[in-house]
Amino acid sequence: MRARHGDAAAYEELVRMHQAIAYRVALVVAGDLGDAEEAVQDGFVKAYRALHRFRAGAPFRPWLLRIVANEARNRRRSAGRRAGLALRAATAAASGDAAPSPEAAALSHERRDALLGALARLDERDRDVLVHRFVLGLGEEETAAALGVRRGTVKSRTSRALERMRDALPEEDS
Amino acid sequence: MSGLEHELRALAEHVDWSDPPDVALGVGAEIAGQRPRQRPSPRLVFAVAAVLVALAVALAVPPARTAILDWLGIGSARIVRVDELPPLQLNASDELLGEPTTLADARSRAGFPVAPPPRDEPAPDEVRVVDGRRVSYVWRDGDRIRLLVTQVPGLLQRGAILGKLIPPSVRIERLMIDGDGAVFLGGGPHAVFLLDPNGRYEEDHGWLAGATLLVDRGGTTLRIEGSLSRDRAVELARAMEG
Repeated sequence: MRARHGDAAAYEELVRMHQAIAYRVALVVAGDLGDAEEAVQDGFVKAYRALHRFRAGAPFRPWLLRIVANEARNRRRSAGRRAGLALRAATAAASGDAAPSPEAAALSHERRDALLGALARLDERDRDVLVHRFVLGLGEEETAAALGVRRGTVKSRTSRALERMRDALPEEDS
Repeated sequence: MSGLEHELRALAEHVDWSDPPDVALGVGAEIAGQRPRQRPSPRLVFAVAAVLVALAVALAVPPARTAILDWLGIGSARIVRVDELPPLQLNASDELLGEPTTLADARSRAGFPVAPPPRDEPAPDEVRVVDGRRVSYVWRDGDRIRLLVTQVPGLLQRGAILGKLIPPSVRIERLMIDGDGAVFLGGGPHAVFLLDPNGRYEEDHGWLAGATLLVDRGGTTLRIEGSLSRDRAVELARAMEG
């Protein structure tokens, strides 16, 4: 019994370590808060069931994010939602939030809205790779896992998507 | 990185992510219901520790090329049998054992209940403490450590995991010592590390190439290492009871 409780506790620790990023990925992919939450929970449970297939020595997070992203994608398709930009600008910083980074503080409301608008106008593949790589801050391997493509595809797609996004953005005033 | 890439990264701080739900308890409840209750298959049994260990190995022991063959848990320790050990530093620096001190001081700094040294051994040559993490009794034979007894707080108290990587040549025996679960690792070198609650790896080398007895005693993991038979190690563990 003790060992069994210990195992569950150990896996719960693993869940707590990764649930925040898993939730953001699920939210981006599913485009719905409720579906994202379900995708994260079901993704962790599926990952647990599939642990025997996890390759020893491989990093855990990309493997997990692939499972969670698949769950989120399936929910979006079941709900008949089209892929779109699920991100919304925050209305104001919550009182408990950390101070923004200098880069974030330098981003004007207009520029922020322009970036979100340009992302929303990109085609799905371009938008996905930019959101995963930069807005979610995932590495190339994690992005590849979440999108179900090869790492080389992430590299080339990122480069093209950045070019298209630059073309889609208005010139900065500064 | 281009200006646009910086802007996209900065955009993350302006996005309404909403608070991430804490799904850990829900996941725990679901997997508890799925856990095999009788004679679990080894492939499933090693799963949780396998991931944690694989993470630690992947993050912190790059040269290790191990296939995880089996595992078992005892107290705060996860013992994982692998086909190949990472490079070992046996008889590592005494500093890793902590600062030499008195037994009374070690007990006050440990932050968990510390059993006294075994009654039927001479007093240890040294008592060493790492604040809040580990108390060690050291017996020396010249420069060599002859016997090492270490106590670490349990998994639930610290949220940390003591990992041991065991090659196929090491024999593992499960024991019960006066109602406490225990594991005896019969000879041969093994690697030891700690994985803290944030997934960070801390080196915690195995000091001795001899046998090891691990006992899960009331939330504290007792580790006895040396050139010992199983029966002698069990005697020492019994001689440390209150």
